[in-house]
Amino acid sequence: MNIVVFIKQVPDTDDVKWTASNNIDRVNTESILNPVDRHAIASALKLKEQYNARITAVSMGPNKAAEILKEAIALGVDDAALLSDSKFIGSDTCATSKVLSAAIKEKFPDTNLILFGQSASDGETAQTGPSTAVRLSYPFITNVSEITEINDNNITVISENEFEKITYTVKLPAVLCINNSIYSLSLPKIDGYIKAHDYNYKIYNISELRLKDDETGIKGSPTYVSKVYRHDEYRNCLMLNTDELLNKIKEVC
Amino acid sequence: MKSCGVLIYGELTSEYHIRTVVKQLLTKAYELNEKFENKDIKVCLIGERRNYDELINELGSYGADEVIITCDDRLKHYDKNYHPEIFYQIAQKYQPEIILIGATLQGKEVASYCASKLNTGLTADCTNLNITENNRLLSTRPTFGGQLTADILCKTLPQMATVQENIFKEQQIEHSAFAHFEWINIDEIERKIEIINAIKKTSENKDVTTSDIVIAGGMGACKDNGFELIYSLAHKMNAAVGGSREAFERGYIEKSQQIGQTGKTISPKLYIAVGISGANQHIAGIKNSGKIIAINKDENAPIFKYADYGITGDLFKILDELITKFDTNKEEKQ
Ligand SMILES: Cc1cc2nc3c(=O)[nH]c(=O)nc-3n(C[C@H](O)[C@H](O)[C@H](O)COP(=O)(O)OP(=O)(O)OC[C@H]3O[C@@H](n4cnc5c(N)ncnc54)[C@H](O)[C@@H]3O)c2cc1C
Ligand SMILES: Nc1ncnc2c1ncn2[C@@H]1O[C@H](COP(=O)(O)O)[C@@H](O)[C@H]1O
Repeated sequence: MNIVVFIKQVPDTDDVKWTASNNIDRVNTESILNPVDRHAIASALKLKEQYNARITAVSMGPNKAAEILKEAIALGVDDAALLSDSKFIGSDTCATSKVLSAAIKEKFPDTNLILFGQSASDGETAQTGPSTAVRLSYPFITNVSEITEINDNNITVISENEFEKITYTVKLPAVLCINNSIYSLSLPKIDGYIKAHDYNYKIYNISELRLKDDETGIKGSPTYVSKVYRHDEYRNCLMLNTDELLNKIKEVC
Repeated sequence: MKSCGVLIYGELTSEYHIRTVVKQLLTKAYELNEKFENKDIKVCLIGERRNYDELINELGSYGADEVIITCDDRLKHYDKNYHPEIFYQIAQKYQPEIILIGATLQGKEVASYCASKLNTGLTADCTNLNITENNRLLSTRPTFGGQLTADILCKTLPQMATVQENIFKEQQIEHSAFAHFEWINIDEIERKIEIINAIKKTSENKDVTTSDIVIAGGMGACKDNGFELIYSLAHKMNAAVGGSREAFERGYIEKSQQIGQTGKTISPKLYIAVGISGANQHIAGIKNSGKIIAINKDENAPIFKYADYGITGDLFKILDELITKFDTNKEEKQ
């Protein structure tokens, strides 16, 4: 059983810096592992424990993103790869999913299960996982909270929508987008840190993924930010004490 | 024939009602259409074999020109194998310039599927839509940090966007739609996903989208008995309890209680924000509220700029006081 977990490095602070072209300036902003991707890693580790799976963490981003790959290794992931090329810069979810699906096709073709976080805290589009699945013609389930069973052909998972908690059986290979799930990570152990310290992750660039120049980055992204501005619809705020406030509340109650 | 301007995914509830967000998207599309050289608006319905007359009339009354229906008894309920693929085939056939889909869980699934198959751009959770002078779709959404708003354009066609429920208001008009059945060979679609069982979720929480009063807690309330106090005040006021994304991520509220761009959009008569800073993504969900009250210890918190009434101070103390006085006040009145 081979599992790939896609993880993303996201800006941490509220104080995000911007480049002249209205993209986030990732160099000058603190970065962390996307919070919900921890649950994806935790789900993979659970499967490793139960079914002897081999887990590879993969991230697309600048060299700095190697930080979260090392973190994944320390947490118990077996291998890690970074998809990095200056031609990937500025990719929207459409272009990102092209790169991620190319990585599976070219570098990890015998993957049985692909895990994503439900959404990245910076863009929160929740599109990357489904789009990658569609490009690979794999079935996908979003909002997965639990993996109950897996065998050579199928995986059984629980996913919630607005109204129901549903158990699905899905043909492998498949894509799952893991939400704040029941699995949580324990802290890395000391041998994890040692492994991470010495670990040489692989780096793949655009030609190694057999992608064309115009398929990724800004050129390969159908959407672009045309303008960023402050959008202020302010009201006139009257400051009150609790008694006055209570009277205002009572007017409505 | 007019070229297809806008195609909307006609999501149905399990009781075969049109989901409110579909009506809202229709109203918006109708409004945009005036700037958009009056191209037509189509809605795609996917469901069981049945009489669709009522639904067609209803969709017409919100501005739909044409309803495209694909029906088969295997399509009775939303099916992950079929619905996204069918919607994609319809989109492929009609080549719309714009596709609008409600940002429900089902809608997001259909939208990502369709956008990837069509190799086009998709902007998620938009807070406004417009048409530019060049007849392109301009999608607006708050952006990183929450202090800024971004306008997003798409180079390719169709231009796709999802929008949460209640961002727009639905409005009925004098208008009618005609219907058209579209046959799709479902046998050719491979089934890879089966439902084993489904359990209805029950929530004891009052619905934030329909309550007259909503009290929401943020990061500031995510400690000690912050949310207990909020619930107890809400109980006295017969209010629904909501929260910011921070409150959801820390497990103090359910996803269905999250308010904002990627949560619920609400328009109660009274909204009380407790320990919420007022990031753009949060404001996106409360803008249409009647009166807004902010409780925050930081007098410079952005939330005050969006509020009608404010009180600065420690929320724990203020809530305590409000809870106690709420009762005494009541007794005095009686
Ligand atoms: C793509 C995307 C989508 C998003 N969608 C949403 C969304 O739908 N909804 C949403 O809410 N957010 C959303 N966010 C997150 C948003 O940007 C903010 O991070 C979030 O709203 C902040 O939550 P908060 O106000 O509770 O926390 P904070 O910003 O940490 O604010 C806490 C406030 O509490 C006050 N406070 C602290 N202690 C006390 C006390 N004892 N007494 C009184 N006041 C106190 C502080 O002064 C502060 O103003 C989204 C972000 C992104 C990137
Ligand atoms: N650059 C990236 N590299 C690796 N994984 C990514 C990247 N961007 C997004 N993902 C994955 O896709 C999920 C959803 O991201 P998003 O669609 O941006 O909300 C994340 O939780 C990650 O698992």
